[in-house]
Amino acid sequence: MPFMKKNNFLTILLLFLLLIACSCAGIAFGSVSLSPGNVVKVLFSTDSSSTASTLVRTVRSPRVLGGLFAGMGLACAGVILQGVMNNSLASPNTIGINSGSGFGVMLALLLFPQKTGLLPVFAFCGALTAALLVFLLAYLGDSSRTTIVLAGITISSFFNAGINTVKILDTEITVNLTSFMAGSLSGLTMKKLLLPCGCVLLAFCLSLFFARSLNILGLGDDIARSLGMRVFLTRFTLLALASILAGCVVSYAGLLSFVGLVVPHICRHLFGNDARLLLPCSALLGGSFVLMCDLAGRVLFAPFELPAGILMAFIGGPFFLYLLLKKKGGRRVHA
Amino acid sequence: MLEYRHVSVSCQRTPVLEDISVSFPAGKITVIVGPNGCGKTTLLQCLNGVSQVTGGSIFLKGQDYLKLSPRERARTLSFLPQVRTIIPALPVKTLVEHGRFPYLGFARKKSPKDMAIVRHAMEFAQVSEYAHQYVDTLSGGVRQRVFFAMALAQDCNLMVLDEPTTYLDLPGQKEFLHMLEILREEGKTIILTLHDLNHAVRIADQLVVMGACTPTPQGRKIAAWGAPGDCLKRHILEEVFHTKYKKFEDQEGAYYFFI
Repeated sequence: MPFMKKNNFLTILLLFLLLIACSCAGIAFGSVSLSPGNVVKVLFSTDSSSTASTLVRTVRSPRVLGGLFAGMGLACAGVILQGVMNNSLASPNTIGINSGSGFGVMLALLLFPQKTGLLPVFAFCGALTAALLVFLLAYLGDSSRTTIVLAGITISSFFNAGINTVKILDTEITVNLTSFMAGSLSGLTMKKLLLPCGCVLLAFCLSLFFARSLNILGLGDDIARSLGMRVFLTRFTLLALASILAGCVVSYAGLLSFVGLVVPHICRHLFGNDARLLLPCSALLGGSFVLMCDLAGRVLFAPFELPAGILMAFIGGPFFLYLLLKKKGGRRVHA
Repeated sequence: MLEYRHVSVSCQRTPVLEDISVSFPAGKITVIVGPNGCGKTTLLQCLNGVSQVTGGSIFLKGQDYLKLSPRERARTLSFLPQVRTIIPALPVKTLVEHGRFPYLGFARKKSPKDMAIVRHAMEFAQVSEYAHQYVDTLSGGVRQRVFFAMALAQDCNLMVLDEPTTYLDLPGQKEFLHMLEILREEGKTIILTLHDLNHAVRIADQLVVMGACTPTPQGRKIAAWGAPGDCLKRHILEEVFHTKYKKFEDQEGAYYFFI
């Protein structure tokens, strides 16, 4: 028993504090470091002309907010997808949802370059298309774990090809393809973030209501049906939620890859497989993880800046391998 | 009580069952026997919505059973499927609590009554001592009792068990069948499939023999149904299973040995 019920509250509180700490660090540190006192002073003063103020208000705050919601959205999407597909290898990235929404974003930039408000909508549509395609393929095939992953990889490279095609054909598109494909939080503004972050928050709250359904789905279709669940409808709803979560994040942060796979697994190792605990914990840890990686990317090689997605693979990868190797049996996902 | 009327089931347009009519009396144990692949599981899965019924209807106390919503269905009938493709990495207690799923509201909050039912189910299935262990670390026999406890926690008058004794050793099987007899005394209606004919004949109030294991163009049929003694007298089991039996009697009753 990793954590008993009494400790659940404490766990969430600790993760919450970690997230706060990461957010503060994200605001205070960077190519120019500010002392905590300085940050507080800037936040509460009305004078908005100083460099520190511009830095905190228009550069770092949106960045931290974006990172927080990116981690939250992708990690939760990962938890949901792993439950829905009954597959420990599922994540927004491996299933092709990220690429799908990335393609949606490129399409929106191609067709409506002026309307940035449409980005999340297109991203969501792309994500849902990819999710449904993978699900359909798995359903038509033998729906085994390998089929789902293979279908996901295929769809993923298909949409990636689409992204590259659009970028090459339309040279006017103002996207830095390298950092978009790796996932980066640079150049965010509050205005850009408002819609996608709102949607992520909403979808996250909705997904909490489905946590128990997610647990039941994890028991297999036969038992879920016997317990009176509308399996198909529940799956579809959850896929849509995961698409909103991942699509909105991709619309502003690009194809952040690692967080949706690794964070849910870290949380499974630490807190067990109960989605009611797994969803909030993954959200909090995912947010902290993205913020830490983004900060590391800004600080380590200053004045150069590495996209958060790259740091994520560097930091998250070895840590995940460590967890995999030291596992003492019993605590694996349904695999 | 539960009655199939001219039920047909097709899987990918191939008829698997056609024109099946059978009824299951209330408060009794009905055992379904038949060779592998004769459609026992398909017949039962009409009840949890996995088999798609393509013709005919099923009535429960005069009500059209197939028109019930999945939730209502899960509150009247608990179904324990046969295959365990997924062994959940969950504590036993959590799994048994999932049996209360059909009763929970949108917030999915459990009441003290729910918890009492879960506790009772775990005591009855003798898995209370494993409450905090993980299901995937348990032996096959205990695991099966845990799933049984989950079905019990659904608290339904009608229990359907698909090959519940498959994972159990001989003492485990006998104990399990004894539990079913206790449940029958509590007034529950039980429908189950068994492969062991000796057990089937011993425990059944009614025996349903499904026969003709090669798929005929008309689908597969029920060879006979009725009291076990009747089926034996009419040599149905011998015909369907290509076997013979010997009867032994002592003070406790008659035993049948199938050869």
